[in-house]
Parts: sequence; structure tokens; C-alpha cells
Amino acid sequence: MRPFYGVLAGAGAMLLAGMSSAQAATEIEFWHAMSGALGERVDEVVKRFNDSQKDYVVKAIAKGNYDEVLNGTIAAYRAKRQPEIVQSNERSFLTMVNSGAIVSTAELMEQQGLPVDTSKFIAPVVSYFAINGKLQAMPFNSSTPILFYNRDHFKAAGFEKPGATWQELEPQLDAIKAKGVSKCAMVLPGDYEWSFLENYSAVNDIPYATKRNGMDGLDTNFVFNKGKLVGQVERMKRLVSSGVMQLAGQGIIPIQLFTSGECSTIIASTASHAAVVAAAKFDWSATELPYEQGVTPRNSVIGGAALWTLKGHTPEKYKAVAAFYDFLAKTDTQVWWHQATGYVPVTTAAYDAAKAQGYYQKNPTREIAVVQLMRGTPSDNSLGFRIGNSNQINVAIMEEVSAAFLGKKPVQQALDDAVSRGNEALRRYEQLNAGKK
Amino acid sequence: MPARSDTATLPAAAGGGGLRLRWPLRRLLLKGTGDAQSESGLKRAHFRDWRLPFWLLAPQLFILLLFFFIPSIRALIQAFQLTDPFGATTQWVGFQNFERLFRSSVYWSSAQVTLIFTIAQNVLTLSLALLLAFASNHILRGRGAYRTVLLLPYAIAPAIAGIMLAFLFNPRVGPVAHMLQGLGFDWDPNRNSWHALALIVMAASWKHICYNYIFLVAALLSVPQSILESAYLDGAGPIQRFLRISLPMITPTLFFLIVINFVYGLFETFAIVDATTRGGPAGATSILVYKVYQDGFVTLDLGSSAAQSVVLMALALFLTFAQFRFVERRVNYSV
Repeated sequence: MRPFYGVLAGAGAMLLAGMSSAQAATEIEFWHAMSGALGERVDEVVKRFNDSQKDYVVKAIAKGNYDEVLNGTIAAYRAKRQPEIVQSNERSFLTMVNSGAIVSTAELMEQQGLPVDTSKFIAPVVSYFAINGKLQAMPFNSSTPILFYNRDHFKAAGFEKPGATWQELEPQLDAIKAKGVSKCAMVLPGDYEWSFLENYSAVNDIPYATKRNGMDGLDTNFVFNKGKLVGQVERMKRLVSSGVMQLAGQGIIPIQLFTSGECSTIIASTASHAAVVAAAKFDWSATELPYEQGVTPRNSVIGGAALWTLKGHTPEKYKAVAAFYDFLAKTDTQVWWHQATGYVPVTTAAYDAAKAQGYYQKNPTREIAVVQLMRGTPSDNSLGFRIGNSNQINVAIMEEVSAAFLGKKPVQQALDDAVSRGNEALRRYEQLNAGKK
Repeated sequence: MPARSDTATLPAAAGGGGLRLRWPLRRLLLKGTGDAQSESGLKRAHFRDWRLPFWLLAPQLFILLLFFFIPSIRALIQAFQLTDPFGATTQWVGFQNFERLFRSSVYWSSAQVTLIFTIAQNVLTLSLALLLAFASNHILRGRGAYRTVLLLPYAIAPAIAGIMLAFLFNPRVGPVAHMLQGLGFDWDPNRNSWHALALIVMAASWKHICYNYIFLVAALLSVPQSILESAYLDGAGPIQRFLRISLPMITPTLFFLIVINFVYGLFETFAIVDATTRGGPAGATSILVYKVYQDGFVTLDLGSSAAQSVVLMALALFLTFAQFRFVERRVNYSV
């Protein structure tokens, strides 16, 4: 009998030891949507946090793309097994805010005695993720679209660089195709609703929806079926039907058509830097988004995602969450993250630090997105977008606009239909969330 | 009766779980159509006590309850609600979701696409599978190898099949697309709705040919050799024998496959669509079941998604009923 008890006691001791070491560090879960190289960067930043202190352990778990992460979170929340932190894209802002499932970041940080000073953040980031100056989520990976171009192709067609306005850029793209430099002068990105429409309206300072693009209330209406935006879609249609701008379609990602040297330009998130640096075997560069002639361009709007804190956890867990956010907002972390991923730093201090290091002299294209975001003071049209049911609306707009590309509908009609489908979804959102933000 | 049990064991032996539902359903639907020769002889005699059949059925019923009845009831409830994805707010909205659906031109065009897609997929799948089954029954050398190769695509996950086809037929980079373009055919599923539709029909059929093929091979093998031989002696060639004798004799299997193909096309093809075209371009390949998935899981419009799945469920019931009621009359069950 003796040996048996001995084993039992040993096992018990081990169990206790295991428990006590687990109790020492509070473990929290962080579900994210980053894959490939970016997924590795997330693991790295989490490891840096875990190594930086002994009290908390963050466990990063990749849960697929943004839609899948959100779906997983919803299912987990309904089953009361939600993680502490979830990464959700900028589009889901209202869905998350009005979910009743989140703790606002401002509130969390105040409770933990680590208040966030939003004045240190880049303006379009704060305006997107804060309500009345209170951050609802922790900005994590913020980006904005810029124009990447193949310098070899531009030189071969006799141009130094892409023109700053659409009026200068369009003939250049036509020439690249006409001179046979490339069969594909531009490739349409998969998220063109963001890069070609929303950002176009911000940069050219025209309203996309009423009530400051939804910032002032749920009773907003889309108005992108008038004026310059119609012209922009007409332009896109002309580029597509003349074959100057190509659609990547399924089976390949648009940026791959740029990095393979097949397409000469792409308007894509600055986070595409990772893919371009890794794969482009030609002389490439990037520049700011083109704008309309005669317009003083405004700041572009952000894309990417923020970290949301979910309800239903113990105070110790929230302490860990706050410590992690605090770590993320640190200048060192931001500078590292910015340089390692291509996303923009979310604080001005981090931008200044990167500049002081001479980083932008060596990597000038990394500065474009930051400069473009910080350009001027955001106007009512460039604060960002606060649109309910935005996933539905996004799909509807893309469907209608692509119907115009295919020649199934005239551009004006496609945009009218997109507006009415969008407004219908907005009214439904208003009906369900009456009296909320 | 013997003729019936003959046709019944044939596809079942070939491995079809789908058949389990068939006989009770047939009995139910055919009651009073004049075809109902009494089948009561089999029923009660075997089980004197209700407990044994109950326990035999219980596992299957439990699975059905968990994966069919509970979700269906929840979908039915949700179809009359407007709800926040997280479940924070729920409103009863009556038929609002259905009204919205039937008012939407997008939904009707999706229904139209679905009709074309399911019929084209059915015709293509069945005719190719029939051709292959006929051919492989006539090949003597390496018949087993051919059959194995023909069955392989069934083991491929729909998403992988879809992505592979999307890549092969991608007008920019796909080798097959380049070949088509080389032949002077302006292939571009990104811009041409019909090309995109053809692509998903191909992807869906390719995945399902094997399933049809297994059943057809087994059915063809069950055609009595004596009849074929006597036709041979009368001077009928292989094609004539196939068309005049084998084909009429395997109509029950064909009928079964038509039903299964419709159900497959209506319900099981969303993964293929998602991987191949994502419903594009401009909704040209957004079939009904893909819309259910997209509206429910991508755009989080749960009410509409639920209403759509209720409509689809009703449609499937109606189609199956109509097929059994009208098409099966022409099916020859007696050998």
C-alpha cells in the first residue's frame, strides 16, 4: 500500500503546484482575425507582453477572418463562453457598441486606473472608435488605403510617377495599357467599397450619408448617389470596361496581381506593405490616394480593426485586459508594431518616435498612410462612418456597383438602388436599436 | 412486392443513407393514388412490442431532433423576429421579414438563378454519370481502376474543389482559362454572369457525379443479364440495348437521383459557391442557399436569413412532393 500512497501524494503535490502557478498569472483569451505573416506579428506582440511582466498571460487565438471571428464571438457570447478580448473590424463598430455585450475601453481603463488620453491618438482613429471622446474599443491595427505602383511600368510608359489627381492619373493608366507596357494598368481591390467610395468621399470632402455619415444619429440616410461619387463610379466603370482596370476574381487575391508584376497599380491598405515587400521583384513605390482636380484633399479614413472587451468576466481578468491595452498603447510597442506590420501607429508620439529614428528616410512609403490620415483637421465628411447593419449594406453596395461595372444597369440606377437598399437596412437598424447611440 | 424489394435493396446496398426516408415518404404520399398495392403485410408482424422499435429508432430520432427539428423550429421563430446578432434586442415583427423578401428584386433574381442552376446541374450530373456508368460497364480491362478514379472527387471537400476550379478558370492566371482564351473564347467569369454560372454548375456537378455514378453502376449491374442477352441475340447493339432495356429498367434509380440532385443543388452547394464565385459577379451566382448563408453568417441579417430558410424548406417539401406525385407515375418499378 505504501508506494501507492506515495504516488498519490506526489501526484497531489504536482497538481497543487500546477494550480498555484496557474493562479499566479491571470490568463485571458484574445481572439483575432490575423493570418499569415500578420498572425505571426500578433503572436509576437502578445509574447512581448507576456514576457514583459509576470501577472498576466494573454493567449492569442486565430479564429479565421473578421466575419468568422465575429460569428464565433456571437456564438460564444450566446453560450456564455466568450473570450475577454476580441478583434473586430471598423465596420462592425455599431454592431459591437449596441450589442450589450461589451465593456467600453474608456470605462475599463478608468476603473483600472490607467485612463487613456485620446488627445495623444491620431484624430481619424479616435473619431472612428470613440463616442463623445470616450474610446469604445482599443484601436489595434489601423490602416488606410494608399496607391501602390510599379515604377518600372511607369518609367516604361514615360512617366516619372503617378499623378496626384484622378485627372492626371487616368491618362497615365490608359497610356500604360495602350503602349503595351502592361495588360493590366490597375487591379480593382476586393474592398473597393472602402478604398474607392468611402475614402474617396472623405478625401474629396463630400457627404456619403447624412448626419455626418451617421455620427449624429441612427436616422442617417445615404446620399452617395449624387454628384462626384456618381462620377467616380462612372470612372471605375470606364476603366473596367476598357480593360485598363482588371478584376482579380476568385482564386487569387488582387494584391498578388500587383506583386507578381502583372498589374501596374493597386489602391490598397497600407498593411499590404508586408505582402509587397515580401513578393514584389521590381522597383515599386507608393503614393497618396488620387483626388479630384481643384479639391484640397482631406484626411482619408481608417480601416482595420480594434480590440473589444467582452462582458461577463471577473475583475482580475479585466485587470489583465487593461494591462494589455496599456502595453499596446505604449510608444515602443506602437513603433515596433507599425514597422513590423505596415499598419499605422495609433499615437502621434509613436509616429514622432519612428520619424526620429530615421525610419521614414529608409522607408518613405511607410509614412504615406500616416501623413494622409493626419492631413488637416477632419471635416464632417472625413471623421469616419457610423453605419448600422454595415455588413449588409456593404454587400448590397458592392453588388449594385458591380452590376454597373458589368453593364447590367446604368451607373446612376445602380447607385440609386444601392442607396435605397442601404437606407432600408439603416431603417431596420434604427427600428431595432431605437434610443441607442 | 418482390419487384419493389428488389429495387429497394439495390441502391441501399450501394451505400445510400438517403434511402431511409424514401419508403415511408412514398407510402405517405402515394396513399390513395391507385398505386398503393397493399404493403401492410410487412409492418406489424415483426414487432410485437413497441419498445424494441422505439429503441432502434431512438438514436436516429435523437440526431434528427438535435440537427433538424430544433434548428428548424428556431429558424421558424426567428423568421418572425428582428434581432440583434448578439441577442441583446429582439422584436416580433410578424411577416415583415417575408414581405421584405418577396418585395426584393434581388431575392427573385436569386430564385431565378437557383432554378437555372439546379436544373443545369441536375441534367449535367446525371447525363455525365450515366455516360460514365455505361462506359465503365463496357470496359473489361482495368474496370476497378477506372471506378476508383471516378469516385475520387467525392472525397474532396467542397471548398477545396471550389477554390481549385476558381483558380483553374481564373481569367488572369488560370491555365484552363488561358487555354479557352487561346481558342479565341473570351472567357471571363468575373464579368460575364453566364460564365460564372457555368463555373458553379461545373463545380457542383463535378463534386456530385461520383455519387450518381455509384448508384447508376449498381443499377446497371442489376439489369438481368438474360434480357440483355436475348436482346443481343435479336441483334441489338450495345447502345440500343442500353437505351431500350437498361435505361427503362433503371428508372427508379434515375428518379431517386433526380430528387437527390435537386436537394443537393438546393441545399448543399453553398460551400462551392462561396469558394468559387462568392455569389458574384453582381449576384449572378447567388443561389438561394448561398443567400441564406451570406445573409445569416456574413451580413448578420438573422431575420431575413431565417425567413429565407423557411421558404427554402417549404420549397424543398413542395418539390419532393411534386416529384413523387407526378414524376414517379411514369417510373417503371416492375421488372
